[in-house]
Amino acid sequence: MPGSSQKQYHAKQNRRNFITGLLFLSPTLVIFSMFILFPVFFSFYLSFHKWNMFSSSHAFVGLANYQRLLTDPEFWMVLKQTVMYTLGTVPLNMIIALFLAIALNKQIKGKRFLRTAFFTPVIISPVAAALIWRWIYDPNFGLLNYATGIFGIPPVNWLNDSRAAMIALILMGVWKTLGVNMILFSAGLQGIPDTYYEAAEIDGAGRWSKFWNITVPMLTPTTFFIMIMSMISSFQVFDIVYVLTSGGPMGSTKVMVFYIYEYAFKFFEMGYASAVAYLFFAMLAVLTLLQVKYMRSRSGYEAL
Amino acid sequence: MCLKLDKIRYTKVAQSLAHPKTAHKRFKFCVYLMMILLLFGCSKSKTENPDAITITFWHSFVASTIPALNDLIEQFETEYPDIKINAQYVPTGDALIQKLITAIQSRTAPDISWIHSDFLADLVDADAIYEMAHFINGENGLADDEIKDIYPALLQYASLRKKLYSIPMEATNLALIYNKDLMRKAGLNPENPPRNWDELREYAVTLSDDFNNDGKFDQIGFFVPIFPASGPLSGWMMWQWIPYLWQAGGYIVNEEQTEVLYNSEAGVQALTLWKEIYDKLNLKTFTADYDVAFASKRVAMSMDGPWNLPRFNTMLKNLDWAFAPLPAGPAKQATVVGGEYLVIFKQSPNPDAAWTFIKWIIRPDVQARWAMKSGYLPVRKSVSKVPEFVEYLNEHPNFKVFVDQMDVAQVQRPLDNYGLQITRHIAEAIEAATLGGMEPREALNRSAEKSNQLLRSLNTNSDN
Repeated sequence: MPGSSQKQYHAKQNRRNFITGLLFLSPTLVIFSMFILFPVFFSFYLSFHKWNMFSSSHAFVGLANYQRLLTDPEFWMVLKQTVMYTLGTVPLNMIIALFLAIALNKQIKGKRFLRTAFFTPVIISPVAAALIWRWIYDPNFGLLNYATGIFGIPPVNWLNDSRAAMIALILMGVWKTLGVNMILFSAGLQGIPDTYYEAAEIDGAGRWSKFWNITVPMLTPTTFFIMIMSMISSFQVFDIVYVLTSGGPMGSTKVMVFYIYEYAFKFFEMGYASAVAYLFFAMLAVLTLLQVKYMRSRSGYEAL
Repeated sequence: MCLKLDKIRYTKVAQSLAHPKTAHKRFKFCVYLMMILLLFGCSKSKTENPDAITITFWHSFVASTIPALNDLIEQFETEYPDIKINAQYVPTGDALIQKLITAIQSRTAPDISWIHSDFLADLVDADAIYEMAHFINGENGLADDEIKDIYPALLQYASLRKKLYSIPMEATNLALIYNKDLMRKAGLNPENPPRNWDELREYAVTLSDDFNNDGKFDQIGFFVPIFPASGPLSGWMMWQWIPYLWQAGGYIVNEEQTEVLYNSEAGVQALTLWKEIYDKLNLKTFTADYDVAFASKRVAMSMDGPWNLPRFNTMLKNLDWAFAPLPAGPAKQATVVGGEYLVIFKQSPNPDAAWTFIKWIIRPDVQARWAMKSGYLPVRKSVSKVPEFVEYLNEHPNFKVFVDQMDVAQVQRPLDNYGLQITRHIAEAIEAATLGGMEPREALNRSAEKSNQLLRSLNTNSDN
């Protein structure tokens, strides 16, 4: 640049680069701030207010929303059910996914087909999938009762029984998210060098002992990652609940996000819904933090 | 090779973009482009009559009603050439209200929208809509007896806190639909559908049948509409239960709106009736697709509204079926009304033209024509005196059942606060007593406790 010193030129250039970079990022930044950043802060603000979405004013109510939710028995029931769903899906999902990943890691016929088949549920629209499962669970014409009937098990009214409905939901949840975890485990398995297994074989290790002493410890970072991610996603389950059971029968499958949805978009109590959302967020954050701490101290792997 | 070329090209583009002058030019160009696009976005499409006022009207009529609506609008525009109606379809229910919220906040609300009466309180509290008195007492107003000609049950839903905020466009109510062939088969007279609760109870069992003797009814006498209280059909279930509460002489809430009364003796009776039939017919394992089951002769009696008449006329072509009034309860005969209500938004630039349209719609001859074309019920009593309409009713006995039933349509006591939540509480009680096997009294009391808690919180708030 004419007439300017080297230093000034660089400062100018840096600023220009910064602006250019910002311009390139702007589409993402605008969308991110509008649809994520702003709602995050706005809903925090709302959690101390009363607002029905129509009126232009928000009445300040202090901690009343938080107080109300802590004394609402339904909130605690919903929390319990959300935890039950998570405890039902996550371990079952991980065990089956690990088993499938190991089975499909071997050179077997139709490996690609099987892998695709197990992954398909992940890419099916949750609404379509839940509609299919509604039919599978139908008490009269359902596939599941027909299948269990062959073994002489009496028919179960899956979606109209408050105990069975949660099991039905868990089964579908596992089926729906199994594929992702299977692929993640496969990737983890491929990262274990064959040399370990060869060395173990030379030492005379059996299949079982190789699994426990090599596969499991070597997979720890993967397992840990999968566990955290599946826990977060199953705590946030909504779409399949909405279509499969609508939280029924008698609220027995009502989970936290469904509860938030009801207060926000059915009863238009935005303040209360935001308070629930924030408390729930805090619970999830604490839980994840505890997991990270525990796993780090146990494994010594810097997974995250 | 290819990769390399691409890389060179990319670097060149990047360099030219990073070059200060080019970057500046490009930025300018982008700004101009955006301005042009914005201008295009703002330009309005021209109408045929440049002086005509355009009234935007949001509605959620189903596809089969659209021809009737178009006919209605065409007729209006011929009578009022200086007003053009721009009818826009919006999805019904939750989606409509969400769209309205967005529109109000962004100041793009329509002139007129149809709404469910549930949403009235929120719209009024947000000061989004006109009170109808503004127009009724105006120059182009309505006489007192014209207002009184509208069915009182509809006027009640159209009002909030004793003030009229909307005008009903059409009415519906609930009646009993039954299969005449199945009545004959069970040895009952098909011209005598159940007239009271005892007969309903009795017929429900008589009309049930277990073809394959597996201990489960394959054909059921009466479909008790039980759906998840937190699901999309919750309101539909509770709407069908309310007439039974009234038939037993009960009310949802007291007149002061300080306490709910649905857990009264009448409420217990009504819920017990439903529970008895539900348990006796083991409806827990029966399908929820009651209309499909009715069409395939698996359901002998169920309940439905006039909006389904056009559909049933084709769907049930091969069945001998009819509508009948709801059976009377221990206290009286009663049914519940529904309908859609027209509101005028304060954001409308032409509220008087919007009112002209609404006033025209409830004119008796227009109502008669609209009812005959759309299958909805008229909102005014005097429509039954329009000669063509009388003739039409004689030719359409099923439609006549609904029109006649408007005389026993009960006025629901207003529920100006927490209406949506209290409706949900009632639905929860119905679900708990039938599906959950709870004692009706206990289920109702448990829900009433929740409702009363909300109503009480309201009183303490307003005291502060």
